[in-house]
Amino acid sequence: MSSTFAQGDLCDEGGCLSPALTGERRCWAHLDDPAGFLRALHLGNAAGAWLAGIDLSGRDLRGANFSGARLSGANLSGADLRDADLTRCFLDFANLRGAILANANLELAVLGGADLASADFEGANLRRSNLVGAQGPRARFIRANLYYARPGNANFPDAVFDYACIERTIFRRANLAGASFTGAEGNANFENANLEGIRR
Amino acid sequence: MIFRAFLLNVNEANAYVIGCEHDREALLVDAGDFDGRIKDFLDEQRLKLAAIFLTHDHYDHTNGLDEAIAYSDAVVYGGHGQSGCSKSRPVEHDGIIRVGRLEGRVLATPGHTSDSLSLAFEGLVFTGDALFAGSVGGTASPRAAKQQIEHLRKHVLTLPDDYAVYPGHGPASTIAIERQYNPFFV
Repeated sequence: MSSTFAQGDLCDEGGCLSPALTGERRCWAHLDDPAGFLRALHLGNAAGAWLAGIDLSGRDLRGANFSGARLSGANLSGADLRDADLTRCFLDFANLRGAILANANLELAVLGGADLASADFEGANLRRSNLVGAQGPRARFIRANLYYARPGNANFPDAVFDYACIERTIFRRANLAGASFTGAEGNANFENANLEGIRR
Repeated sequence: MIFRAFLLNVNEANAYVIGCEHDREALLVDAGDFDGRIKDFLDEQRLKLAAIFLTHDHYDHTNGLDEAIAYSDAVVYGGHGQSGCSKSRPVEHDGIIRVGRLEGRVLATPGHTSDSLSLAFEGLVFTGDALFAGSVGGTASPRAAKQQIEHLRKHVLTLPDDYAVYPGHGPASTIAIERQYNPFFV
């Protein structure tokens, strides 16, 4: 498991400290033609691209390749990312509210601080992923693989982990009130987690 | 900047290659193994391995050091207690390591070992076993644990929010995530 990226230049807009999008001289907020950028974006191979802050909400992104890409702070709410390759992708503080990530590959992905409310990760590969501080009320992780994932301090009330692999998963200080772990397998770390009303 | 992360077979440790696209010089961060993937990457990218940085002297971060040196004749940077090989060059807090036109600043982050080091470049920081996503390194005493937290707060968590954090094990993170949500800091 390895990844490659090349760090981009800063946005041309005076005083802006955000990185420019891949192939552009400006960041998403200062782009002249965001619609044109999205039309030209090759979803089949966006690996390693710098796409911080981009708005892909509600889009059909099934099978897209974002491995190693920087999607920090992106709006992916309601997007369909089924079967997408998101290995080592930075999705920190991204909006994934209601997104569909069933069977997506998120191994070693960075989802810290992301909004995962009601997102669907059924069957997804989340091995060794960073879920620190993620906000995921009612998120669904049914049959997902969370081996050695790190949801420390995450907020997952009423989330569903049924039949998931939680071997070595670190739920340290996570809020799991009302979450369901029916059929989940593995020895996880629940140190100081809120387990009020969880179902097993 | 050219960058690649490697998940090694040795204790699930990470190793990283960072390279300068202008001068084609590269730095290897930690050498728990020096397997074919790392060599292939250096060859593919036409990078000369000029230096190796050891975050600390534990086998899962140094096991491949001899092989890496034999392959490249690289200079080895690390803390005072590290490696003992003739190519070693001890570095201290605020020391500068140059790789082509890239410049990394050494940050003292003792605790996991007494001479554990981190290394910050523009936009990213390598933290070894001092700081992980949502956790910190294991220590031998409460005093060492306190020392580690203090140094991380002072030298690492003061970096810009969007800096990527690349630890010795596990996934990457960012300074913003760790500062806002790491259970050991909040």
